[in-house]
Amino acid sequence: MARRRGRAARDGVRSLGLLLLFCLLVAATLWSVATGSTRIPLATVWDAVSSFDGSREHLLIVMIRLPRVLAAVLAGSALAVSGAVMQAVTNNPLASPGLLGINAGASFAVVLVITLFGAGSGGTFIWVAFGGAALAALLVHVLGSFGAAGQSTIGIVIAGAVVASFLTALTSAVLIFDQNTLDAVRLWTAGSVSGRTMTQNASVAPYILAGLSAGLLLARHLAILSLGREAARSLGQNQAVWRTASIVVVILLAGGAVALAGPIGFVGLVVPHIVRLAIGVDYRWILPFSAIGGAFLVVVADLAGRLIFHSQDFPVGVTTALFGAPFFLWLARNRAGRPA
Amino acid sequence: MTRWCIFLVMVLAGLTVASLALGDVALSWRDLWKTLIGAQDADPQNAMILYDLRLPRVLLAVLVGAALAVAGTITLAIMRNPLAEPGVLGINSGAAAAVMAVIVLLQDPPMLLLPAAGFLGAAAMAAAVYLLSWRGGTSSLRIILIGIGLGSLASAATTFLSAFGEIGDVQRAMIWLAGSVYDADLVKVRFLLAWLIVPLALAWMATRELDLIRFGDETAKSFGQPVDRVRGFMIVLCTLISGAAVAAAGLIGFVGLVAPHVAGRLVGPAHARILPVAALCGAILVVAADLVGRLIIAPIQLPAGIVTGLIGAPFFASLLWKRHHARG
Repeated sequence: MARRRGRAARDGVRSLGLLLLFCLLVAATLWSVATGSTRIPLATVWDAVSSFDGSREHLLIVMIRLPRVLAAVLAGSALAVSGAVMQAVTNNPLASPGLLGINAGASFAVVLVITLFGAGSGGTFIWVAFGGAALAALLVHVLGSFGAAGQSTIGIVIAGAVVASFLTALTSAVLIFDQNTLDAVRLWTAGSVSGRTMTQNASVAPYILAGLSAGLLLARHLAILSLGREAARSLGQNQAVWRTASIVVVILLAGGAVALAGPIGFVGLVVPHIVRLAIGVDYRWILPFSAIGGAFLVVVADLAGRLIFHSQDFPVGVTTALFGAPFFLWLARNRAGRPA
Repeated sequence: MTRWCIFLVMVLAGLTVASLALGDVALSWRDLWKTLIGAQDADPQNAMILYDLRLPRVLLAVLVGAALAVAGTITLAIMRNPLAEPGVLGINSGAAAAVMAVIVLLQDPPMLLLPAAGFLGAAAMAAAVYLLSWRGGTSSLRIILIGIGLGSLASAATTFLSAFGEIGDVQRAMIWLAGSVYDADLVKVRFLLAWLIVPLALAWMATRELDLIRFGDETAKSFGQPVDRVRGFMIVLCTLISGAAVAAAGLIGFVGLVAPHVAGRLVGPAHARILPVAALCGAILVVAADLVGRLIIAPIQLPAGIVTGLIGAPFFASLLWKRHHARG
């Protein structure tokens, strides 16, 4: 009785925390839209969305700032959730979407296309990146479950390391001989949400939203997967099915994110850890917290990059680490490796 | 064990001879032999090719490969995580950030500064990871997490420099970071050998401690092992060994991760067996990678670090899978 009440109270605190984090995300988003080379009052932001009149300020909001912050929200939540899913599936704290070869695949595809066909227009490579990421991840999944029918997570870990180092090696082999491609691709590689358009957001959003909802629905099965092979088997879970489903979710999420914002490594790896250190190991809470926390981190990092470095192009991949890492270090030092 | 060792030594010897003989100027067996024994009628040009170019290069590859593999074995044991390699301690990201900073921020840095910067960056990161994760003791998980955090900060610095640095500098840094044994000479080889010999010997003497600590902190403690002290000592060894390898040859990936796994599959879990076999595997991998990188699209040379990813990765993976499935 007392334990049940304790759990209900803890869930209450967590719900409140989630709500608070969501409010923070909304506030950061609004602030981000209002801030820039010209400050725009929030009322105008609202007008631009509800009754667009084609003025300069409205154009600025609708064409530039909203797409940018939306890309940050989408990419941040997708990366964080896919990272949490990966860590649950492989049962390994070092796992991240990058382990599936997502980032290496996207980078290689983009570099290949630039080398062969030139930089093209817009500087973004949505479908190329998405395709490369998905192909690499599928390859890792097939190799990793080859023969042993997905029985061991070590298979996928090694397959991931192999495919990722193979593709990374190919990428650097191209880049160290082709300076033009290196110049064209290096800002994208750093991870950026600068100059994204609504069309790009709209084309990737369905995949990310599908991945997010599927991920949240999978939470219970992920919690069981994360207990390890023996425990999951004794609970009667069909691991091959749920592991495959989880991998599909990761491909949708991380593939979409890398297509939108480039290969950002930090969010997928670290946000799930931050959440776990802060609220505990229950995946039904880790996933929603990661979704909102990841979005919050990327929005704030992008905003901070613009405010502090006075540059529209400061890569968000750098600022996420710059602001997220100290917090993460503090948490890891104080919370990790002692009984919960 | 002995069988595998003999086999691997023979493979390594074969690769070494091939590396000495093959190249832009191929030496015949007879020329090679004459030059090696210093015969009277040996061509002095062959001696130059052999002693100034190919021999230092192959020796450096052997040393670097063995060092990376041993460091990987140690990390695997103390972290108890199949993904752990010396990079977990921040060694790679620290070296990369330091070298990138030196190349991009300084005008024409002297070549000698790069290895020094690489080693210092690696050592500083490893020390920071260990100190930050010390709280009246350490734990593998905390070291891994702190390593992730500090590593991502260092990578952010590297990314920043590579995104905004002068493009020629960035490319030069990338070539260095890709990992190669291009600029080997006998001085470098001797220096690396002298540097490595003590840490490698210590690692070899500590194989029993590695066996124990791999079981987990509690078990190791109940056998009377001072776990924290051993882990700290091992991290120092690992930093000395792989930091020096990185300083000498850049970031040759994958060797530290895979050589210990392969060795474990070949000779079982005891570190007294794994350590020498892993060292041999690492040496073979780097020598072969350098040889292939020199020949495959000659006269252009591919850095060994890229070849280990391109050819070593699939090859060793297939080896792992075969062994894995053969045992069920």
